[in-house]
Amino acid sequence: MRRLPVLFLISAALVAAITLVRTQSVHAGVTPAAARAAAAANSPVNAHTSRSDAEINIYASPLELLLSPDGSQLFVLCQQSGDIRVVSTATGRTLKSIPIGQELRGIFLSPDGSRLYVTSSWDDTVSVVDTHTLAVTARFSVKGEPSGVVTDKSGKTLFVANRLSNDVAVLNATTGDEIKRLAAGRGASYMLLSADGKRIYTSHIYPALGAHRTVPQSELTVISPDSEPGRAAGPHVVDRMPLHLAAGVFHIAQSADGRLSAVAHFHPKNLIPLAHLEHGGALANNLTLFGPDVDQAVGGTIEVPLDELDRYYAYPFGVAITPDKSRILVTHGGADVVTVISVPALLKFAHAHPKGFAEDLSASGNYVLARIPVGKNPRGITLNRTGSLAYVANRLDDTISVIDTRTSKVLRTIALDTPKAISALRRGEQTFYTAKYGFQGHFGCSSCHLDSTLDGLTWDLEPDGFGVDIVDNRLLEDIRDTEPYKWNGGNPDIPTECGVRTEKYFWRSENYDARTLADLTVYIMGIRKRPNRALPGPGKLTPAQDRGKVIFERTVDNFGNPIPELNRCNYCHSGPKGTNQKSFDVGTKKWTDRSGLLDTPQLTSIALTAPYLHDGSARTLEEIWTVYNPHDQHGRTNDLIKDQLNDLIEYLRTR
Amino acid sequence: MRIQTRAVVAAPLLLLLCAFAPPPAPTAAKPPCGLPVIATAAPVYNPLAALTNLDGERFPQGAQLLLIDHGKAQPLVSGFAATADAQVYYDGMRVLFAGKKQPSDHWSIWEVTLADHILTQVASAPTDLVRPFYMPGRRMIYARRAAHGFTIELAAIFPDEPVPAVELTHIQAPALPVAVMRDGRVLFEAGFPLGTSLSQGAKPELFLVYADGSGVESYRCDHESIANGRWGGQELASGDTVFTHGTTLARFTSPKAVEQPIHAPAAEYAGQIAETQDGAWITSTRKPGGRFTLVLMHPGSPLQQPLFVDPARDHVEPVLACTHPTPKRHPSGLHDWPTANLMALDVRQSRQGDLATVPPTVQLEQQDDNGNPVVMGTAPIESDGSFFVKVRGDRPIRFTLLDPAGKPIRAQHGWFWIRAGEQRICVGCHTGPERASENHVPLVLLHTTTPVDLSGLATKPTAEAK
Repeated sequence: MRRLPVLFLISAALVAAITLVRTQSVHAGVTPAAARAAAAANSPVNAHTSRSDAEINIYASPLELLLSPDGSQLFVLCQQSGDIRVVSTATGRTLKSIPIGQELRGIFLSPDGSRLYVTSSWDDTVSVVDTHTLAVTARFSVKGEPSGVVTDKSGKTLFVANRLSNDVAVLNATTGDEIKRLAAGRGASYMLLSADGKRIYTSHIYPALGAHRTVPQSELTVISPDSEPGRAAGPHVVDRMPLHLAAGVFHIAQSADGRLSAVAHFHPKNLIPLAHLEHGGALANNLTLFGPDVDQAVGGTIEVPLDELDRYYAYPFGVAITPDKSRILVTHGGADVVTVISVPALLKFAHAHPKGFAEDLSASGNYVLARIPVGKNPRGITLNRTGSLAYVANRLDDTISVIDTRTSKVLRTIALDTPKAISALRRGEQTFYTAKYGFQGHFGCSSCHLDSTLDGLTWDLEPDGFGVDIVDNRLLEDIRDTEPYKWNGGNPDIPTECGVRTEKYFWRSENYDARTLADLTVYIMGIRKRPNRALPGPGKLTPAQDRGKVIFERTVDNFGNPIPELNRCNYCHSGPKGTNQKSFDVGTKKWTDRSGLLDTPQLTSIALTAPYLHDGSARTLEEIWTVYNPHDQHGRTNDLIKDQLNDLIEYLRTR
Repeated sequence: MRIQTRAVVAAPLLLLLCAFAPPPAPTAAKPPCGLPVIATAAPVYNPLAALTNLDGERFPQGAQLLLIDHGKAQPLVSGFAATADAQVYYDGMRVLFAGKKQPSDHWSIWEVTLADHILTQVASAPTDLVRPFYMPGRRMIYARRAAHGFTIELAAIFPDEPVPAVELTHIQAPALPVAVMRDGRVLFEAGFPLGTSLSQGAKPELFLVYADGSGVESYRCDHESIANGRWGGQELASGDTVFTHGTTLARFTSPKAVEQPIHAPAAEYAGQIAETQDGAWITSTRKPGGRFTLVLMHPGSPLQQPLFVDPARDHVEPVLACTHPTPKRHPSGLHDWPTANLMALDVRQSRQGDLATVPPTVQLEQQDDNGNPVVMGTAPIESDGSFFVKVRGDRPIRFTLLDPAGKPIRAQHGWFWIRAGEQRICVGCHTGPERASENHVPLVLLHTTTPVDLSGLATKPTAEAK
């Protein structure tokens, strides 16, 4: 008799376990309602405590890393915890944590090794760390979301790539005084000082704003850090190296002899209907090589595929070239691997295929030596002095992989101090950044929403029909209370947007279970809005912004005629997010669109989100009114003079 | 066809029993991966018979599934005149197979549990059903013998309600499943050119198709190297696929567009292999004049260790009675249309050599119910080589590029299909899976979003022309 309750409990537990396993393993038909309920339970903001999930669990999130000159210490940039961890390479122990700021993005060691420069992208600062005392000795203000950072060879001048202002700030490295700005590509982000110190290369993550439905174009902005007698005083742009067809350009590396350089990037297929993923249907993950060695082989730059016929290596991010120039290592943030390339084999193959081989998925089999599994979302990579060891920052599991570059094996994994419990928010972020749900690992959410933002591209999605309903990719920041989603307003919530629809028409492969979809929803709903740099202060507007606000809210046009309520800016673009969450026909329907009835987009961080309109046809905010609003259906704007349009833009930049 | 549902009634009871019964012994719950092996024993093994003749039998003198363990064999099931084609469920606990209770019966599909030998017929029809494979979500595929030879179907195992099977192959020639890939696609063998049988001079070749019948394509397009034909096959843990080329083993690997040789001891190899957890292979090999025997071998090693010897019968198609990964489920995105849309990006591109100029038109042919080609019409080709057509779904079709005089420049030798409701893009005309698309708006889509209707069905356009 006494055993009965025990047996009952065991049986009940078994039944519960069976039920749980069944619940966890249900893949087909994940209902948005189930995911919604689960997401609500895992909401990043706890209503009772007002403490967000992110605040409760701050993960290190190592994004970039560098070695000290003697190789004894790793300086690890931890994006989410906002500090630099100093890690002993001998023991793997964290020796010190140096608090820096919000959303750290770039790190550079001065040529003499005495200073570390760290960008804090959401604080608009560059911090200077003394590598002997491991103390922050200065903080320089750099407007425009500082990202990549380098100095010139002397260490006297600092160069900072700014993602929001699309430029490179030139500063006195000692005082932090800004000397000048140089225009760079849209979303300027990653920088490299050449081996000889004569050039600085800057990449950018959003493609240039070109004509509608034309191929993406990016560039490497090539800067001379020095004056050129008779030509230019001080640092200046000497070249804008085109990266034809590239979008989403990340790190650049150069060989020690300066003769070979490589930059990692996406090669999107956004202009072709996204009907299926095989044969590189959505994106290619590539390198572009340049430099004298490449000139010698092919007479110019060459684009190098990293994918294979049946397997893709999403999100090529970090690049390193061994000092002996025998290998190139590339991290793949979506595939959780590091690709090892034989440089001699690659140059030989390139020489044999001088017309290019970017579309040949069998090419990589001729020069890839290994694919090394590492941690989740590997990003930054650095080599020791001899090139025998590579250190890889695995951003989403808070580890550093140490790789033997000769054997292409992971020697050990260094775990950083970080919360042990993995929150729903963190799981959602891991899901957002992995490409494992895409058919053959083709791509993931973050392939098109770079760093959880957008890609600056328009896409031709299949279910609407080929060439029908071309859609601009939208920003994910602070999207709570902006539903419905999708330009046609067809998806009432994120579980609908990212569930069955995404499985069928994006991944073309088995999607998440209900819990993973709920976690993903928690993450997406928790993506924060970046600080607004256009506002002069809390609750303040500049005179131009004030004038623009008046235009935005006006009820009478320049001729004294009343503007119907439905045709006022602030009717559709109302509320704190700038959307009344309804659909309207504002006269922007193209012959390729099935309907002119379109969801009112939110105005969040609108300065960042070009191109504009549902199909990305307006390159600037001004074009919305001056080119695509001939009949004043998209608000009364044809009475506005240029100065007023500028004021309106100034106001919108504050949203 | 009849899908039996008797287990539905028993399922709740079984669940209850499972919940309150003592846990099964570990060995029964999770058989060790490597042994035992289930294989088909047959006096005569003619692996390509079903691709050659409409009534071809792979096992003309019967067959029997054996459970082979430590050199000893016992029948997997009793009470059958013939059994073959074993496939083990992902949990290693159940086996799907083709069987005949009486010699005069048609082959039908059965399932048996390994621990307690509960036997259930899961599908039968007034024709042969063979080569069953589990699919994710308690579904299965198998080959059903039709008038033109075997065709591949997808059906539920024990559906709550009878549901019609979905036909995955739409050619008037035999096709048999070979394996289910981890990406969820079905690997199948058929004649090359596709849509022709071996009796018409075709060579066996390996193709892939999604689990809803869409996206059919050759696994690789190095067809010039298949003088002796490719058949059988199994995806390894590495993602490579090992198959039989003629009588030797070869492999497809993700980085390569052409098959790669496998250096194995000289022998004749037969189709399907099994891979153990430690990476060894169990294959069927025979020396000249001998029988197919199961051997254990390590890739690259000259050594082969016999697993079981029976001079009276061939032993083929080994599978391991162990857990293995569940393939990904393919979420069908087919539209509810009777037609399908197909767009070619640049017809000039081909593995046969790129055309220097753009042909003005492309002609579509469709096979009628008797297998006769019927010209469905032509469509213009844009100056960038793109065209966009609507075709009838689920029918064998083929394209021919025509010169200005209407004479063929290049023609497909075989037939393929697009599923009803499918929208598909071809990079070129037989460019091979290694050729990725280039990123540009096809010119045809800058002129119209309405495909040229070659379906022969009166349907409304789905979008307007510019």
